[in-house]
Amino acid sequence: MSGEEEENAAELKIGDDFLKAKCLMNCEVSLILEHKYEQLQQMSDDPMNQVSQVFEKSLQYVKRFSRYKNPDAVRQVRDRYQLAEFELCVLGNLCPETVEEAIAMVPSIKTKGRAHDDEAIDKMLNDLSLIKKFE
Amino acid sequence: MFFHIVLERNMQLHPRFFGRNLRENIVSKLMKDVEGTCSGRHGFVVAITGIENIGKGLIRDGTGFVTFPVKYQCVVFRPFKGEILEAVVTMVNKMGFFAEAGPVQIFVSNHLIPDDMEFQTGDMPNYTTSDGSVKIQKDSEVRLKIIGTRVDATEIVCASNLSFCSLLTYNGYNGIVGTFYSGSCAQGKY
Repeated sequence: MSGEEEENAAELKIGDDFLKAKCLMNCEVSLILEHKYEQLQQMSDDPMNQVSQVFEKSLQYVKRFSRYKNPDAVRQVRDRYQLAEFELCVLGNLCPETVEEAIAMVPSIKTKGRAHDDEAIDKMLNDLSLIKKFE
Repeated sequence: MFFHIVLERNMQLHPRFFGRNLRENIVSKLMKDVEGTCSGRHGFVVAITGIENIGKGLIRDGTGFVTFPVKYQCVVFRPFKGEILEAVVTMVNKMGFFAEAGPVQIFVSNHLIPDDMEFQTGDMPNYTTSDGSVKIQKDSEVRLKIIGTRVDATEIVCASNLSFCSLLTYNGYNGIVGTFYSGSCAQGKY
């Protein structure tokens, strides 16, 4: 499993499968899972019996750590700053407040010769916090 | 991190399921088989959200079973090495503490807990800083960095070795308390 050895989210090495896949922020997962849970509720009286433990735990987790109510607005930030899906989702899940924090969480935004200086990152964080404020 | 991903699986179906409801039968069997499982490659399959397509069935010689290749979209949870995520503490002891991020179990060894945090025994065992400003106990929310993962093939339990990257304990508050520690990396075993 050589692929496994090289895996490092800090350098955005998460494998081709997942780089191409759509990353989901906790708030988005929460929307999906709750929708599915409601569907199950309509079909049977005791939906908690129907779902797997993995589902139950995930639902609890994303409900607890949901940050935004409007994930689409966060997606717009991604287009503006050319972030990878994974990077945006980490930022969206953790909501760093300072540039230093953001770089520590997502070191890859500073590498690869991308035009992200501290100023740009600060602006990006500002945009994100505005979304949160006005939703 | 959660992902929305397309996966493929060959479903073997007993002939008694054939008929008008073939498609529904395939889908419900797929959900039963796949949801809640865990693999090293794709992580935990949390929920199937849609079926992309069901290919042509192939009758197996001698048994009458038919194999259908099914492409489906699903939400998976896959922890990555180096990823930073939030987790809820489930158990604290002198070896370190356990936390859960969705379906994933995480262990943080006491070697990786910042040095200024001391273990306190008692009713609610916890790790506390010397000035008492930050406390990690059951139900605390912590931010941590994953330094390794291990998947058990026999059980649906996934384990991670953890490093403390940042210790931002909220203890149920909304704001961020605590300071940002940069991570030291060592191996712990769970």
